[in-house]
Amino acid sequence: MIALKKNCMLTAMAVLVMTLFTGCDDDEVTSEGSMVFRFEHKIGGSSIAFDQMKFENAAGNVYEVSEIQWFISDLTLHRDDGMSFCLCDEEEFAHYVDTDLEETHQWELANIPAGNYRSITATFGIKGEKNTPNLFLNPPESDMIWPYHMGGDQGGYHYMKLNGFWRDLEGKRQPFNFHLGVGQDKDQNEDPVFVQNWFEFELENSSFTLSGGEAVAITIDMNVENWFRDPHIYDHNQYGGMIMSSQEAMAKGCENGKQGVFTINSIQNQTPL
Amino acid sequence: MKYQKAVFGTFSVLLWVSAFIYSCKDDGEVIEPEFKPTPYVFPQIPEFPTILNIPEDNPTTEEGVNLGRYLFYDGRLSGRTHHDSLMSCATCHIQAKGFEAGIDHPKFQNGHPVGIPDQEYPNGKPTPHAVMPVVNLVFNHNGYFWNGLINNNNTQLGSTDYGVPALPQYHMKNIESVVWMAIVAQHELNGDIDKTVETIASIPLYKPLFEAAFGDEEVTYDRIGKAIAQFVRTIIAYRSKFHKSLRGEASLTEAEMRGFDLFFSEEADCFHCHGGSSLMTTNLFYNNAKDTVFTDPSDRFAVTGDPTDVGAYKAPSLINAEITAPYMHDGRFKTLEEVIDFYSEGLVYSDPVHPLMKQVHSGGVQLTEAEKEDLIAFLETLTDHELLTDPQYARPADLNF
Repeated sequence: MIALKKNCMLTAMAVLVMTLFTGCDDDEVTSEGSMVFRFEHKIGGSSIAFDQMKFENAAGNVYEVSEIQWFISDLTLHRDDGMSFCLCDEEEFAHYVDTDLEETHQWELANIPAGNYRSITATFGIKGEKNTPNLFLNPPESDMIWPYHMGGDQGGYHYMKLNGFWRDLEGKRQPFNFHLGVGQDKDQNEDPVFVQNWFEFELENSSFTLSGGEAVAITIDMNVENWFRDPHIYDHNQYGGMIMSSQEAMAKGCENGKQGVFTINSIQNQTPL
Repeated sequence: MKYQKAVFGTFSVLLWVSAFIYSCKDDGEVIEPEFKPTPYVFPQIPEFPTILNIPEDNPTTEEGVNLGRYLFYDGRLSGRTHHDSLMSCATCHIQAKGFEAGIDHPKFQNGHPVGIPDQEYPNGKPTPHAVMPVVNLVFNHNGYFWNGLINNNNTQLGSTDYGVPALPQYHMKNIESVVWMAIVAQHELNGDIDKTVETIASIPLYKPLFEAAFGDEEVTYDRIGKAIAQFVRTIIAYRSKFHKSLRGEASLTEAEMRGFDLFFSEEADCFHCHGGSSLMTTNLFYNNAKDTVFTDPSDRFAVTGDPTDVGAYKAPSLINAEITAPYMHDGRFKTLEEVIDFYSEGLVYSDPVHPLMKQVHSGGVQLTEAEKEDLIAFLETLTDHELLTDPQYARPADLNF
């Protein structure tokens, strides 16, 4: 009976200790949450039907999309109180998206400070000072290499490869490589001046609230038709299938990129990651 | 009282177990396993990928690599011992040829290997595709063979077509799988699993090698595959003139530099498929505008079922391209000059052509003769001459078969 009493006391103590710990959990304030960004690729508001010659751009080019590979970087979350949370200095400041690789369609971020956020900004591509050789040693990111002599000593990586076909004026199905990266100003007689074509963009209607211990999922659409529409109508028949050496074409593409290419599809609170 | 008994009983068992463990330690009985192979340390190479494709169930060890080297070169791997029937991995993957067969192979005409002859194929069954070099495979995560059939996402077990049993240990995912298939494939070693195991087990040389690599002398098909795969993963080409120039250890000539600039230009555009990294390949699959009619049952389409993959094959690494003729999946080109001419003027359009072949309707990238020479000069800087004679990859001196 003595042993039984001792066991009962031990059990009671254990219950007490567990209750105390549980109480601590309840009182604890978690000041961070998590986020997941999802990336979808659209034409005319619908998910792209790849490899189908069924789309028409603003120039009247009938075209199809084979694959899109691109970088988003320096994602910044702007809080109502004026504070910003930027991934600019994080080791993984850039995220690679590849329409052929499902695992790249999602970017998970942990330890995000809780709060009311009014907007989201980001960089298309990679800023010049960071876009350096050997930034990525492993594929698929390393396959985005941008030749050094086409981008100065820094070289670095494509901002985007958008590959597909368009029906040319003779009715031929012509391949196009709408590749954006560091440009070259060849107007001068001396060595070309290199032009950084990356740009920052703000996502409209991107306010959200992140509570401590909670998660928010945000889906960002890339609206492909807008690469070719506003403010410049981009005609594949004018620029042809390759534009890495054409700063004029890349500049138009990037200026168009600032106008509605990237939009918020949805913002949802969800189970923490 | 039942509760008391239960508590007492539990304590008794715990005391007994504790006493047993304690006594084991007191008696000095061995608790830790004796088998501790030496982990193989891969070289840290600037500009090279850092993520290695090594399966969890086959870590690379010095002992495993050593055993794998013997097996890689052993002509008895098919289970045959007669002098006329010997064939090994090294028969087609020759070190001096960048671990490729080479166009001037003493047995195989124009670099097209055939398997060990049998009644059905008295002259040997031809391999469906040209040989691919087994170099830098540890960095490849996008599948093996020209069509990527062997890959990490393949859930198939064994290969009934080849004679590899559908058992859990015989996955079709990695270099190990390639070894298992190569030993029994009719167009390669044309062997028999049981005979191979029996033959290797009967050779005294191997007993200590298996014990060192796996902890005991037992020879199994699984272990043979694992050992050879370990050795193959260590074959790394990174000492070419081009690679040294990246590290500031060598300088390219003017012609080589012009070729380099062409290679990495959008006008000649070799780099989108072959220049993604120091590996000189993306290890991805492209229909590169060679044909208009497609009849090969082993193209990339056979693996993915995606119509855009018809006539598509892996872009091979261009490291050692100078010595790894013939070129393309079917070995149709015998020289680098023929390859360059093809990309310059020989492209033909078909619907599944890859969009990176953007000059297909012009027939190619239209290089001048001088540009072609410069491009070849650059390609020749990709030869890793040190690899071709490196003793760590050579036939073991005491292996006579």
